Amino acid sequence: LVNCFPKPYNRKAFWICSMLILSLMFFFPLRQELLKWNGWGYNDSKFIFNKKGQAEFTGKRYRLGGMVLPTFKEWIEKTFGASLEHKTTSRASLNVNDVPPSIVNEEFLQDLRATKISYSQDAEDRVFRAHGHCLHEIFVLREGMFKRIPDIVVWPVCHEDVVKIVELACKHNLCIIPFGGGTSVSSALECPEEEKRTIVSLDTSQMNRILWIDEKNLTACVEAGIVGQDLEKQLAESGFCTGHEPDSMEFSSLGGWVATRASGMKKNIYGNIEDLVIHIKMVTPRGIVEKNCQVPRMSTGPDIHHFIMGSEGTLGVVTEVTIKIRPVPEYQKYGSVVFPNFERGVACLREVAKILRALFASICLFLLFAKGHALKPQVASIFTSFLDGLKKFYITKFKGFDPNILCVATLLFEGDREKVLQHEKQVYDIATKFGGLAAGEDNGQRGYMLTFVIAYLRDLGLDYYVIGESFETSVPWDRVLDLCRNVKERIVRECKEKGVQFAPLSTCRVTQTYDAGACVYFYFAFNYRGISDPIHVYEQIERAAREEILANGGSLSHHHGVGKLRKRWMKESISDVGLGMLRSVKEYVDPNNIFGNKNLL
Amino acid sequence: MKCYTPVIYKGLSPCKPNAIKSAVLQSEQVQYVIKQLAKEMGESPDIIQEEATEILDEMGHRMQLGAVRFFAFTLSKIFKQLFQRVCVNEEGMQRLQHAIQEHPVVLLPSHRSYVDFLMLSYLLYTYDLALPVIAAGIDFLGMKIVGELLRRAGAFFMRRSFGGNRLYWAVFAEYVKTMLRSGYAPIEFFLEGTRSRTAKTLTPKFGLLSIVMEPFFKREVFDTYLVPISISYERILEESLYAYELLGVPKPKESTSGLLKARRILSDNFGTIHIYVGQPVSLRTLASGRINRCPYNLVPRHLPQKPSEDIQEFVSDVAYKMELLQIENMVLSPWVLVAAVLLQNLPAMEFELLIEKTLWLKGLTQTFGGFIEWPDNLCAKKAVLSGLTLHSNIASLVDGHVVLNDKGMEDGAVGEMVFRHALAVLMCATYRNQLLNVFVRPALVAIALQMAPSFRKEEVYSCFNFLRDVFSDEFIFFPGISLKDFEEGCFLLTKCDAIQTSQQEIYPTDKGSGTVSFLSAMFRPFVEGYQLIFRYLSKEMKEAFTEKQFIPGVRNFVFQLLEKGSTQCYEALSSDMQKNALSALVQLGAVKKKKMPSGFTYNVNQEAVSKILDMFDDSADAIPEHNEFLFPEYEILIEPEEPEFPADSTDDEQGAEDTSKGAKEQEELGAAGTADEAFQSLDEETLEAMAKHETEEEKIFQMFKKQVAAEPEQIIRYCRGGEGPLWVSGENRPEEKDIPNCVCGAKRIFEFQIMPQLLNHLQVDSLGESIDWGTLVVYTCADSCGGGSEYLEEFIWKQDYSMGCTL
Repeated sequence: LVNCFPKPYNRKAFWICSMLILSLMFFFPLRQELLKWNGWGYNDSKFIFNKKGQAEFTGKRYRLGGMVLPTFKEWIEKTFGASLEHKTTSRASLNVNDVPPSIVNEEFLQDLRATKISYSQDAEDRVFRAHGHCLHEIFVLREGMFKRIPDIVVWPVCHEDVVKIVELACKHNLCIIPFGGGTSVSSALECPEEEKRTIVSLDTSQMNRILWIDEKNLTACVEAGIVGQDLEKQLAESGFCTGHEPDSMEFSSLGGWVATRASGMKKNIYGNIEDLVIHIKMVTPRGIVEKNCQVPRMSTGPDIHHFIMGSEGTLGVVTEVTIKIRPVPEYQKYGSVVFPNFERGVACLREVAKILRALFASICLFLLFAKGHALKPQVASIFTSFLDGLKKFYITKFKGFDPNILCVATLLFEGDREKVLQHEKQVYDIATKFGGLAAGEDNGQRGYMLTFVIAYLRDLGLDYYVIGESFETSVPWDRVLDLCRNVKERIVRECKEKGVQFAPLSTCRVTQTYDAGACVYFYFAFNYRGISDPIHVYEQIERAAREEILANGGSLSHHHGVGKLRKRWMKESISDVGLGMLRSVKEYVDPNNIFGNKNLL
Repeated sequence: MKCYTPVIYKGLSPCKPNAIKSAVLQSEQVQYVIKQLAKEMGESPDIIQEEATEILDEMGHRMQLGAVRFFAFTLSKIFKQLFQRVCVNEEGMQRLQHAIQEHPVVLLPSHRSYVDFLMLSYLLYTYDLALPVIAAGIDFLGMKIVGELLRRAGAFFMRRSFGGNRLYWAVFAEYVKTMLRSGYAPIEFFLEGTRSRTAKTLTPKFGLLSIVMEPFFKREVFDTYLVPISISYERILEESLYAYELLGVPKPKESTSGLLKARRILSDNFGTIHIYVGQPVSLRTLASGRINRCPYNLVPRHLPQKPSEDIQEFVSDVAYKMELLQIENMVLSPWVLVAAVLLQNLPAMEFELLIEKTLWLKGLTQTFGGFIEWPDNLCAKKAVLSGLTLHSNIASLVDGHVVLNDKGMEDGAVGEMVFRHALAVLMCATYRNQLLNVFVRPALVAIALQMAPSFRKEEVYSCFNFLRDVFSDEFIFFPGISLKDFEEGCFLLTKCDAIQTSQQEIYPTDKGSGTVSFLSAMFRPFVEGYQLIFRYLSKEMKEAFTEKQFIPGVRNFVFQLLEKGSTQCYEALSSDMQKNALSALVQLGAVKKKKMPSGFTYNVNQEAVSKILDMFDDSADAIPEHNEFLFPEYEILIEPEEPEFPADSTDDEQGAEDTSKGAKEQEELGAAGTADEAFQSLDEETLEAMAKHETEEEKIFQMFKKQVAAEPEQIIRYCRGGEGPLWVSGENRPEEKDIPNCVCGAKRIFEFQIMPQLLNHLQVDSLGESIDWGTLVVYTCADSCGGGSEYLEEFIWKQDYSMGCTL
């Protein structure tokens, strides 16, 4: 029977014939078409060097789009020792012949067809869902091929579809890997090489409806596949928002947030995902797990939501989530403060977090100029427009400060106008005590915009032998400075030891503030010319950096999750017994390891 | 004037000493302890804060460039007066310069003299490096002007002991850590805690080291560099002072007038100083993979925290490692070799022989990795001569012989003589000791080789291990790597052809016997000294005692033995050795150390100490050679046999072989007694009664047993011309005709017999090479012919146990 379909269900053929039946439901592959197959984000948005050799950001999706960044080329050359003449080029498109064949049991296919759930065995579809956005994954896409990828992709459109798929998987003993937005940076989506069973990639992207909105209780029930920006857009139509804005919100899905314990930039007002979620419905091989009511809090033993949040696809598929919503804020205001150095900045953030707590939406501290030779101020960075303002500012007001160690905090206030203005004043008053000076609204807004485009930067670097990554941690306040200094130093040192010939860029920012600590982001990139196995070197350095974080009292992860990338430290992080507790949950819920992506445990 | 712009730590935010002081006082750490104490003692925090301020003022340094310049100026004058040369390894200084810029630096110099830290500060100043802040003992404050000057030159003072005072500890620790964290200046202190009076490296103290390591453990700094520095003196400024001190003549308190008196020595010559600045060791590298970070992550960092066991172990390992690095780079002068040779050849040694031996020892030292300063073109004679000239106070050349200068007053009392001689020996030993650090591993293998009952590797190793444990406070061994030390020792001995090793065995080579005996002779003062001290403890110390009682007690004990001449071990007078021996026993569990309000008291476990003594005695440490040809050496104790029955004659033979002077303390090994007439005078009836039950054969053996039972360990029975030997068996007894006459024609008569018990001590019971006898009876010339000193052949009769007789 298999032989009757030498290329069973070529995606396009499948699309054409399915259209006849399901019509509108089938705009979904378009989304995949919009996105890069081997890099971050939209196809039309990227950094390039134009004919004049000046950097430019293409596309119209972002405010930076179409802008020329005159000093950027110099910056990248100086910082990394990269040169425009030394270019690597990615393959233009996927070579289908390299892709591992799809091995699917015909009986399963028959059962699947009977459910009318759409599916695909097309190579591009499968490769697209075989990875997240870790550096090594992108590198493989550009230059090699994964050893193991999903054998089949299925697109359930509702909770019941998922139930059916999980039942089928149990029946035929298959492995399911749920796939949401595909923005994982923890190797969570990689297929375990040694998996012998058929791997089914369960793409939730078609479960993207808001099922209902309850204005009295300010909750909304949403299907888990919805992407962050769509959720906000659709809620906004009714005058609401969730306020959950992770940097990846354009692409990441609600289910993914739940599965990884995501955190949003505006969590000070709205809370992180664990604070936002009211009710979760999850399909597991044992059946469906959910609570019996939608209440703000209950005391019924350990919260089962906490088994689900952060389970990283090892227990089941989250299908529907009831989430808190808020009316769209009346007034929004950006702001920025410049500090003479990082130490002062951190001290100010700590004070603001202590006094104002949840009264402002977001505060985020950048170390503007890296110390020493790595990043000279005059070639200041891609933050050009952002910096032009700041530079002028510091020239006029900051004479006497060392521009090499300036740092800036960006601020976002939300709420009713009066309150916002009041809080803004309070923040600036505190900042003054720490030597900070208000640096204008524009600069703040530009700063936030940058968080979205920063991810595009890596793809450009890859073209010029520069590899890089960001990673995060959470840390108690008193250790923030020591941790930042030590991790950066460790990175520089490891690079030297591993034979990296150019000084690496290693810098950090504080992105979230809590009562008891902060979330710190590190950016790390280096020019790998002259190194035969850059990815291996990179991974060693990243591992050393993580070791350093842990040694400095930082956490394994604040919101990226563990995946397979950070599994080795789980035991140390949550103790033997803790790991055993998680294992026993997994054992009960999924004894046959149907959800076999091997994350976490 | 010199332009002084030192390189500084890259992360340094410049600050004044006073700013550091107030930072210390305001720090969470100190404030926490102040609050705690206030709560406990019910006093207001202000008062305690006040107290903390005082402590800090007493302790703190006030580094001022002016003072530094003044100091540098005077020091250069003084140093030029005192020393011929100061040699420094340039590349070490360059490495140090890099290290100072990169991470906080801790300087760990060896400590042999007060000159150490003056010299080091002077050196850093000369090389345009940041002046170190120095943790110095508070005794210096006694020196009014100098104390203040030192303070201005960057010294800070710590009380010698402040274990109980939490406030002091908190302020002190925080002060050190603040300076370290800010990278203010290199911190310098002495791992050994005090000046080594013996020039042997002292076992490290951990307190300060763990303080300076803590900022790294808590990740307040990225890394810390530990820099071992070896300072070696051709002649130590305080040499005679040390010797007096070791002998218990109290040390003069440091005072300014003392220092002024020290000006007298300015006219003297103290040779060369070698300073070797070692490779900076990264604490991070040392710690990688060793430290469980959890304890530091789960408690706020400002809370005082008792270091966990693995941290303590790590600190101790680092301390030992640093000291071993110091030792490795210590420069040895030719005089050190001369002293080592001379001490083995007292009272006088031929000059030519001394040169020859010194040259030989130079080769050996180099094989063992010693770092000898011996100019290429310098001939041995000149080297030895220049050593003798420099140390003319210790030894001198008289009529082609080198002798120790131990003649104080010509007609001194015995005690005076002993003291004089001990002084000279100890001073000389100070120089030999510098060699011991390098030689200790191979030498202990050599001694173990002589101690061990066989050449089997395990047995040699177990002896080595025993010695290493006993001497753990005397020499520096990295904790826990006994086997590695053993292998290193074996390797070095093999390298110089002194031993050969096979899979199972280690045996000395013929060629290497000289080396082996030299090595064991080199360490004999320690082996013997420890035995004396142990003996004292096991015999004399029945009750709890303190160190203050112990030292004079053992000193008197040894002194008396020396006066009597029953030992030659002058070094056992050294209080250093006495303390080390005591603490070794504490570590071996043979002495219990208890903390009392007044200090520590000790309790001896007699049994355990004698067991340790047995280990030494069983071994043949006193035998120069232990090989296939010679049996182990013992002392024979001779006592008259107490007759069980009235005897008609009781000859006193005691003078016959008097090798047992002062033998009262010796353990009895064997005894020979008067030949027993008792045998003859045995009641006929008893004999007959016995005969009724036993054969003639058994009767004789029973007699033998009965006689021996009185003194079961006897090995020899002496009774010249007596009635005859004590036979073990009725068989194979010689007739008169069996015993040939002497060459002079006289009849041979019984003189003594050797008992089978001796077999226990000969260690020849291994299969294939064992020997056996029932008794050996020696007959000698009745006329005692040939009264001269030449050897004569005599007659021996060997009787075995009869076949029918089973033991």
